Amino acid sequence: MGEVIVITSGKGGVGKTTTTANIGAGLSEAGKKVVVIDTDLGLRNLDVVMGLENLIVYNLVDVIEGSCRLKQALIRDKRYENLYLLPSAQTKDKSAISPGQMKKLTSELKEDFDYILLDCPAGIEQGFHNAIAGADRALVVTTPEVSAIRDADRIIGLLEKSGLRDNALIINRIRMDMVRRGDMMSVDDVTEILSIPLIGALPDDEHVVIGTNQGEPVIGIDSLAGKAYRNISRRIMGEDVPFMDLNSSHKFFSKLSGIFRKG
Amino acid sequence: MLKKSSVFVAKNRLKALVTSDRVKCTPDSYDKICRELYETLSKYVEFTEEDFKVEIFRTQILISFSGEEE
Repeated sequence: MGEVIVITSGKGGVGKTTTTANIGAGLSEAGKKVVVIDTDLGLRNLDVVMGLENLIVYNLVDVIEGSCRLKQALIRDKRYENLYLLPSAQTKDKSAISPGQMKKLTSELKEDFDYILLDCPAGIEQGFHNAIAGADRALVVTTPEVSAIRDADRIIGLLEKSGLRDNALIINRIRMDMVRRGDMMSVDDVTEILSIPLIGALPDDEHVVIGTNQGEPVIGIDSLAGKAYRNISRRIMGEDVPFMDLNSSHKFFSKLSGIFRKG
Repeated sequence: MLKKSSVFVAKNRLKALVTSDRVKCTPDSYDKICRELYETLSKYVEFTEEDFKVEIFRTQILISFSGEEE
């Protein structure tokens, strides 16, 4: 019996889609059977981040409306064994599906998959309620910025109100150089305000942009962010993985590039 | 350091924001809540204003104080 995890944030642009794609890849790399679902109707993106946009035939709305069978709409990721994508519809809006229909769909997928990851749209409207309807737990993504943290706090409140209490926090795009000089909130500062358990902290890593450019999860690129996403995937599976030091490697890389510049 | 770090400012702003978001009130009414709770409790319990603290969480309001012990 699989587990349904919704990746949400409130604010847009903090890294929900990238996080969904990479955790999906990370879990499948660990041998799990995973399906990632783009629930952002009208603004489909997860397919592009994963580099699967040219393979779409059917989408989430087709499945829910019964225009195709569930299996027909699932796109298999050839690079990761047992990783599937259920893309969103680009032409429908969020009223095309209901929380009840999403709940039915996820419980059907639970029979076949170890993990069902839902990429939630930004905002707190129907799209959000659709995405969380069938979820067993939530990963809340934020960045160390006032607006993103404020929205995350509201989202956590709404999740708790809907009965989702086993939630965990992912802090994205941390810049250690700024944290060190007191110009960016640290992991501790953010968790102190939001007071939910931390499951991952990601550095602001340019490899994420490079990966998205190429339609390839950053987990497949030798990088700090890739490593951090792999750690999150292992924590989701219940492993006790120590948090990596975001400091040391940055220093190492800057030193390294310094040497080359001098040379 | 003479200038306060921007993190210090951010955290204070955020704390005020999430507090008022959580109870759906203005930052001003948060101050009023604290004051009235203090006044009510101080009728029965002995403590000073400095020892008294009200924290608003998503599902609970926590009133804490450190009383004098002899």
